[in-house]
Amino acid sequence: MCGIVGCIGRGNGTVDVLMEGLRSLEYRGYDSAGIAVGPSMRVLRKSGELDALAEVVDANEPTGTYGIGHTRWSTHGPPTDRNAHPHTDENGRVAVVHNGIIENYATLKAELEEMGVTFTSDTDTEVVPHLIAQALDAGEDPETAFHNTVDRLEGSYAIAAIIDGSETVYAARQGSPLVVGVGDGCTYLASDVPAFVEYTRDVVFLNDGHRVIATADGYTVLDEDRKPVDVDVETVSYTAEATGKSGYNHYMLKEIHEQPTALRQCFSGRSDALEGTVTLEEIDEIPQPNAVQFVACGTSYHAALYGAAILREMGIPAEAYLASEYALSPPPLSLGTLVVGITQSGETADTLAALRDAKSRGVSTLALTNTVNSTAARECDHAVYIRAGPEIGVAATKTFSSQLVGCNLLAEELVDGPRDLRPLIESLRNLPDDVQSILDTSAAEELVEEYGDSEAYFFIGRGKNVAVALEGALKCKEISYEHAEGFPAGELKHGPLALVTPNTPVFAVVTGDDERARKTLGNIKEVQARGAPVIAVTDGQSDAAEIADETLIIPETEERAAPVLANVQLQLFSYYLADALGRPIDKPRNLAKSVTVE
Amino acid sequence: MSNSPATNGSRPSSAVVLAAGEGIRLRPLTANRPKPMLPAGTRPILEHVLNALINAGIDDIHLVVGYQANRVRSHFGPTYRETPVTYHTQANQLGSGHALLQARDGPSGSFLLVNGDQIIDHQIVEAVSTAHTDATATLAVVEGPEAVDYGAVHLSGDEITELIEQPATGEFRLFNAGVYAFSQQIFETLETLSVERGELPLTDAIQQLINDDNHTVGGVRADYFWMDATHPWDLLSLSRELLSRGWVDPPAVDTNVYVADSAHVHPDATLIGPVVIDSDAVIEAGAVVGPYAAIGASSTISSGSVLSDVVVDTDTTIGPNTTAIELVAGQGCKIGAALTAGGGPADVVLDDQVYSDVDLGGVIADRVDVGAGATLEPGALIGPEATVGTGVVIRGRIDAGSEVVR
Repeated sequence: MCGIVGCIGRGNGTVDVLMEGLRSLEYRGYDSAGIAVGPSMRVLRKSGELDALAEVVDANEPTGTYGIGHTRWSTHGPPTDRNAHPHTDENGRVAVVHNGIIENYATLKAELEEMGVTFTSDTDTEVVPHLIAQALDAGEDPETAFHNTVDRLEGSYAIAAIIDGSETVYAARQGSPLVVGVGDGCTYLASDVPAFVEYTRDVVFLNDGHRVIATADGYTVLDEDRKPVDVDVETVSYTAEATGKSGYNHYMLKEIHEQPTALRQCFSGRSDALEGTVTLEEIDEIPQPNAVQFVACGTSYHAALYGAAILREMGIPAEAYLASEYALSPPPLSLGTLVVGITQSGETADTLAALRDAKSRGVSTLALTNTVNSTAARECDHAVYIRAGPEIGVAATKTFSSQLVGCNLLAEELVDGPRDLRPLIESLRNLPDDVQSILDTSAAEELVEEYGDSEAYFFIGRGKNVAVALEGALKCKEISYEHAEGFPAGELKHGPLALVTPNTPVFAVVTGDDERARKTLGNIKEVQARGAPVIAVTDGQSDAAEIADETLIIPETEERAAPVLANVQLQLFSYYLADALGRPIDKPRNLAKSVTVE
Repeated sequence: MSNSPATNGSRPSSAVVLAAGEGIRLRPLTANRPKPMLPAGTRPILEHVLNALINAGIDDIHLVVGYQANRVRSHFGPTYRETPVTYHTQANQLGSGHALLQARDGPSGSFLLVNGDQIIDHQIVEAVSTAHTDATATLAVVEGPEAVDYGAVHLSGDEITELIEQPATGEFRLFNAGVYAFSQQIFETLETLSVERGELPLTDAIQQLINDDNHTVGGVRADYFWMDATHPWDLLSLSRELLSRGWVDPPAVDTNVYVADSAHVHPDATLIGPVVIDSDAVIEAGAVVGPYAAIGASSTISSGSVLSDVVVDTDTTIGPNTTAIELVAGQGCKIGAALTAGGGPADVVLDDQVYSDVDLGGVIADRVDVGAGATLEPGALIGPEATVGTGVVIRGRIDAGSEVVR
């Protein structure tokens, strides 16, 4: 995925606005970056992080009164200077930035090459400036050339372009996020609000098919038939909080430490401890579904596994599906099923596709997301916000914890019938302090000294702790680059046990003292017999701490809250492991924060 | 006369806040957090300090953090009330001058300096800001008998001519309130001094400026409210003052009764003002809370409990039928049914010093578990993560993490 920005009406401040905008979108991609400004039509681009581009900009001092910018995460072609956006036509008359995928680019490229056009990059994007240039050559005016080009594109995209001789920023949205910032005498465009929130909080959220023509005099939104559309200008209550590490070395560590606050916000005002009830005002009216299907990717998928497990215990048939599989191999869907998409950003392309597929089959959809007004929130019939606050680190931490609490609130709101929720409410209310006590006392950093040079790391758990084991392994592999796998504990002996050696520590998540805990103790002995050191993540209710070689202790709590706590210990282990290995923790190689391509 | 740099003369818009200290005399409450994060009413002391700065027009805040720095960072984050917050780390606590030096790259031009553990009226901040024109340093000066404890000053017109570190009782009534404005010169002066006996006090640098004919140290009378906490029981009087002034976050629902929207108060519970109930707190049926009770976010006061003159920090549960007077309870405590803490006076031993006739029912630090029917003798201090068994009578001091069964 990538981030795009644009602005017009800011005069000589244009370059600074574009660079600042890119900086606040850097979480969306950081393989390469570039800007183009008019009327000079100067294009500067550079592979690597944004600082590399900043040096080029400082050295060249481009001037301009309007422009576009891009921060890239590679989908077509490696991260090199020539694949960096903006892309231009052969004569530099047109500059284009693009987020998403143009699915018919091969056809368009072949057609253009046949006409003698030379391509200079491996990207799908480059067809766009060439198509616009062809249209200009055919005598079309810039705006018509832009529309005619966009009409020919298939796939998902957000595009912004500038064209020589026309003091205008052109933009189009189809399937990738794009928002307009309405300033005083100026207009901003961006993939996400933080890019311009410093200057204006008045925002137009575009829909698919919308196009924007922005000049120094203002902006017009058009539909696919080029007819003006009435749009609402909304004021967002975003604070500039999205930036700044507060003195922490990494956003990830900052966000791990923000979990008490995030969990408090997620739960605040949504329960009545006196009555023992939970209320999600957003979905107060939804009837109890016959079944629930969760769709999600990555960390959110692990939250979905947990959410489905809770609902099944409450007697509702529920399954979690990987969103990338769901739309292409859809499971049977009966009427009265609710499809819940879990996505932090609300822009995850795979999850959006799955939700759209479900909606097209006539069932209700619900987005459980962190991002107000995101595409998922707007397209679904219902939205529930987890209120975790902005998360910048690519590895999801606080949003996962808040998603787990969100799943509990969702389940309790959806399922009818009288029951005393006071114990659950008390445990969820205690989560902020329980997490804080782990942050104050965790031994995870010391464990890295002991086990930091192992060959691989395995994570096991049963029941709701399967989600914790899988998430622990994902966190470990994505930021430390070490081999890590998570398994339902009972599955070890059916294959993975062959990987276990004295040099592969096994993290066993054991909470409570029920049948699942006791069976997991058996699995611990199983791996210890193969010489593997075992680190128990436990609340001390079972004998896990006595049996295991090491212990990461969590406070005792209700069984649904325990996975949230166990996961915090694993987050800390992965963080300190990656830190000891010197990894770029906030920007792991090949990964992007929210993946807006399928 | 003054020979100060050109950066002077403009009203300071940045402030440096010293929040790195542990507050040794406030142990055991400071086991997990620095003194500025202890509760004043239901919010950390430091939150009140930042409020005063922002209310006085400061738009750029630099926090010097050290002991348990993450607690400060994760509470305020990169912005507080839309004001950017920058963090500077003081790895070793070597005095106020050394702390300020850590923020050397922070403010440009003249700036304010305040203590993160001292609550001040925003008018003091405004007075110092306004008075700071062409002096190198400007101090807020207040009048009172506390001069003995805080260090007296000699004010001649609007100029400080002498700092008296340890004045004899009654000799002086004007003293340094700990709110300063400085030009960038202070950093240069501090760098000429060295850390001696493990400390580099700010007052040494100010003394140097007073002695230097090239610099002027100004003083401005600012007799407005300020208060700090030195001992655990001071948190009770701090809370009293704040409640009386209505310096609390939740909205007033009745005279002197402040209840957050998300809190739940049973219709059969009684709130007696001044009282503040913060967000998501729960007051069960039959509880009588107040006067002078501050109940922190997500805490629960169970049925039939009677609480007055208490500070209950966040995430703590007070069991049913508890009687608590002059009690400070930390975060995440689980207090069983029918605790009795009947209030002071008491003789309290802190740091090998005896304080007589202190009004203190008891102090319970963070994450303490107390069994049903326990009793605190006046002045009892229970360390963090301690466990107290059923029916135990606690006298004096209980160490952190210990278990008391009888």
